[in-house]
Amino acid sequence: MTDVLIVGAGPAGLSAAISCAERGLQVQVIDEFMRPGGRLLGQLYQETDGSWWNGIEEAAKLQDKAASLGVVLKLGISVIDLNQSEDGWIVYTSTGILKAPALLLATGAAETACPIPGWTLPGVMSIGAAQVMTNVHRVRVGMRGVIVGINVLSMAIAHELELAGIKIAAMMLPAKNMINKDVGDPRKVMQSIVRLGHLAPSPLLRLGSGLMRYSSLQSLGLHLYPKRGFKVWGIPVQLRKAAVEIEGIEKVESVRVANISPEGDIVPSTSRSLPVDFVCMAGGLYPLAELAAVAGCPFRYVPELGGHVPLHNARMETPLAGLFVAGNITGIESAKIAAAQGSIAGLSIAAFHQVSGTEEDLLESIQNLRITREKASIQFHPQVADGRRRLESMFSENFS
Amino acid sequence: MESQSVIICRCEEVDLKQLLETAERFSCSSRELKLRSRAGMGYCGGRTCRLLVDSIVQQLTDTQTSNEIPLKHQPPVRPVTFQNLGGGLS
Repeated sequence: MTDVLIVGAGPAGLSAAISCAERGLQVQVIDEFMRPGGRLLGQLYQETDGSWWNGIEEAAKLQDKAASLGVVLKLGISVIDLNQSEDGWIVYTSTGILKAPALLLATGAAETACPIPGWTLPGVMSIGAAQVMTNVHRVRVGMRGVIVGINVLSMAIAHELELAGIKIAAMMLPAKNMINKDVGDPRKVMQSIVRLGHLAPSPLLRLGSGLMRYSSLQSLGLHLYPKRGFKVWGIPVQLRKAAVEIEGIEKVESVRVANISPEGDIVPSTSRSLPVDFVCMAGGLYPLAELAAVAGCPFRYVPELGGHVPLHNARMETPLAGLFVAGNITGIESAKIAAAQGSIAGLSIAAFHQVSGTEEDLLESIQNLRITREKASIQFHPQVADGRRRLESMFSENFS
Repeated sequence: MESQSVIICRCEEVDLKQLLETAERFSCSSRELKLRSRAGMGYCGGRTCRLLVDSIVQQLTDTQTSNEIPLKHQPPVRPVTFQNLGGGLS
């Protein structure tokens, strides 16, 4: 008998599995991918203290610990539907039907598209696909490419590609159009990356950790932005250039690049073709919450968390009995936050199963998560903590 | 290339121009735009273009994003084989 079924073997799902199993629950984890670890598998970056975060090693640690506690892990299985019965949750998968009184959805995030003409040509991929091909499958995505879309994720992955010996000619914005309004707006992009100042070797970007938070200085920064961009890890980061179109007959051959004003408008007669053999599109992430929607969980729109998220409280409970959420399905944050949320969800599930002595641990882990979040050097959204507080108060207004 | 020819739904090959024309002609909701154009009804289940279709309709109708998900998620949320559909699921 399975006490809890966990969908998603990423940092949130595996941490929850460990926390449940440590309190004596029978745990089953399923994942669509053929390897556990979720997005941890792609991660390789240097911490502010100089040490390296190797996601493959982190995933292996979680997997080993879960296995040693008797967690059952099944891979290559997709959930296609689910519903609630009197005895708990019934989950329909690509290989059969699973049942459990408690269900944790830790399905992570999906990438937001930022279409420009030519984005469907072979050789164009999402930035996340380039990361998985490079770090997990060890496949070279190309010889020389461009990253379209500048954000926390694409900056980190650009560095990973460089480490793998893949040349990134430039990072730039997608040309602004009605569907790329925010990711194509230099001011908004500037606001979202100024907190990454510590990553940048350039003095102007490094100001980001302090002065550049003032919007007037951000405008000045954009006006003074050098034509060749700032180099971060040797990659020119171009806030004043946009990819207008990806060109090629059978596959990517070049990107048409134009100068843009601080408002993101194309400067006429400035476009030229930049020869490349691959392009990564980086429109950001949104919570992948389709299963919560199918389950009938209410949603709230919280832009700071990346869009629509299933309503839940600090204990990672949804309003539906026995349905829990953790990780990026609850809002876009780092793997460390996802893991901490997973541990909380695990304790909540133990409390749901009336395992004694969980309440104190649960309150402590919720407090620890808040501290971790306040201290985090990189935020996907600068106001993520505000978004979390708002969501928690919406939950308590409706369901307590 | 004219910017309105940009493809929005890759699975069903629906471009921005088709979506804008359909949405304006029929004053569509997201759901109606999906049903008329097939954008979001392809193999990926709308994971790529769902937000784009919603955004287009929101801008044309000048509405704010609500708490409800405009384009409902429906099972199956992943492609299913005929074997499974036909009762191959144990």
